[in-house]
Amino acid sequence: MEKTFYLLYAGGSEHKGNGLNKYWRETVAVARRILTELGRRRRSLIFWVIFPIFVLLLNGFILEERANLTTAEAFQSAAPPTLVGAALFFSCLGGSVATVVSEREQQTLKRLFISPLSGTSYFLGIVLAHTCIGVGQTLVVFLVAALMGAPLEGFPLLAGLIILLSIATYVGVGFILGTQFARRTEDVNALVAAFGVPLLILGGAFLPTSLFPAMLLRLAEFNPIYHMNEALTGVLSSELEWAAIAPHLWFLSLFAAAMIVGGWLSYRRMIWVERRL
Amino acid sequence: MLHIEHLTKTYGDRPVLENLNLSVSTGEIYGLLGPNGAGKTTTINIICNLLKADSGVVEINGQPVSDKTKALIGIVPQENLLYRSLTCRETLQFFAQIYGVGAAVRSHRIQSCLEAVNLVDRANSTVDTLSGGMQRRLSIALALVHQPKLVILDEPTTGLDIEARYEVWEFIRQLKAQGITTLLTTHLLEEAERLCQRIGILKGGRLMAEGSLEELRQRIPAQEVVVVQTSQENEAILRGQQQGFTPRRYGSDLVFWLPRSMELRELVDCFNGIAIDSISRQPVRLEHIYIEVTQTGKGLGFPLPSALPDPWD
Repeated sequence: MEKTFYLLYAGGSEHKGNGLNKYWRETVAVARRILTELGRRRRSLIFWVIFPIFVLLLNGFILEERANLTTAEAFQSAAPPTLVGAALFFSCLGGSVATVVSEREQQTLKRLFISPLSGTSYFLGIVLAHTCIGVGQTLVVFLVAALMGAPLEGFPLLAGLIILLSIATYVGVGFILGTQFARRTEDVNALVAAFGVPLLILGGAFLPTSLFPAMLLRLAEFNPIYHMNEALTGVLSSELEWAAIAPHLWFLSLFAAAMIVGGWLSYRRMIWVERRL
Repeated sequence: MLHIEHLTKTYGDRPVLENLNLSVSTGEIYGLLGPNGAGKTTTINIICNLLKADSGVVEINGQPVSDKTKALIGIVPQENLLYRSLTCRETLQFFAQIYGVGAAVRSHRIQSCLEAVNLVDRANSTVDTLSGGMQRRLSIALALVHQPKLVILDEPTTGLDIEARYEVWEFIRQLKAQGITTLLTTHLLEEAERLCQRIGILKGGRLMAEGSLEELRQRIPAQEVVVVQTSQENEAILRGQQQGFTPRRYGSDLVFWLPRSMELRELVDCFNGIAIDSISRQPVRLEHIYIEVTQTGKGLGFPLPSALPDPWD
């Protein structure tokens, strides 16, 4: 035992320096750790795959029947709100709240505070991990839609950007809720139920906004999920109308930026509050 | 390696550290003792740059504490603070990356850490399947994976069974053999006695006594202590004082400091006529020094009181 212990300090040290390399290394480490933990638990990952499939199928068939659309058209219309309105909400917002709360419950945040991990890398690591999950859900949703005959039209690259902005928004909001309001796992469920589900409905995740009364539509304009839906639906339609999409894109971009800054500031505040051993 | 000078910290109006001066040399194991609220954890928080001091200097390896000096420190916190669903190897991998251990040496370093703490056969077990002792060993491995200059062990054996405690003590001895500077806080005085080259006793944020165990012993003017159990305590105190013994109350024990070594027979004769239930001699131990310092609130080296002020107060 003693012999092996001596190996610890006998092998020489190779520490990588500061700069962008440090942030990248730490970001990847945090993301890999979160994905490894999720992979080990499996249940969350399975639910995050099943949930958007169910919602897409329900949305698609309801639209087909009630809006007198073909199956392909119905699923083409149902895919964007299912993805950004429902799937990413639970995985990226609920997931990032759960990540922070789990760190707090396991008290591993304290171990991170005593390490040289920067707050920026920690935040970016959570964003990266949930981006991987979000990309996976995107593939699942559009694959199922394609299997139902829905064509992929419009501007997929711009759609990708909107999806990334949506993920960043959700993770930012999740960070704010997780660091400032959710102390225990039960709080996550309470927060999602109290605020999340009404916002999803008001955002058009389960019911097309074209069916909303005027008053609710005016209210929906303050809901970022509504803008995510409208922007993604717009850029993936065969007839792209920039004038109609631009306000949604602007709102989403500004909101995403605000949430990223808000999330990062929340993390800084949490460090000051909880950093003592 | 660790240099603390005139360190002061207050929480609101309450002083937590008052002009603390402390130095730990390279390769030394320094034991920082003190009752709860003495300022040990606050000191560690400042060393780890988790708290800002109001004033004073803290340097590690000649560098003032900052986020950069975090990489010079390996800390074993009071709780294990581990990711329960990661395996031992994954946990070490994660923290090796965080601490910037290069990819070229990372695998070898992780394997060495696992071997050092006897967790090779549990390398692929998740943390939640490990016993408390194993988790503590993994926590120690985490503190070493980046080859820190200073290792801080914050009550490393609290909550461990005796076997696990001996294992941890063995690791700490190996740290010393490696020449690794270690700051150890503990409530187990036996642990400090066995492991530390120098000991500091904190109370109320002030360093009340400091030195090697032998130096601290020499500052108590007694060769031995005797613990007496009797129902006639006042009589025993008077008799002891007449014999030149210094009475002390340590918890429920009535203790006398003996100015010279005495045979048990001789001691029993000293208390002749008093109903003594039991009497035992002990060498002066850290426990006696610690209680003296923390109970009286004075540093060592003060003149002994000629009479017991009010021991049962």
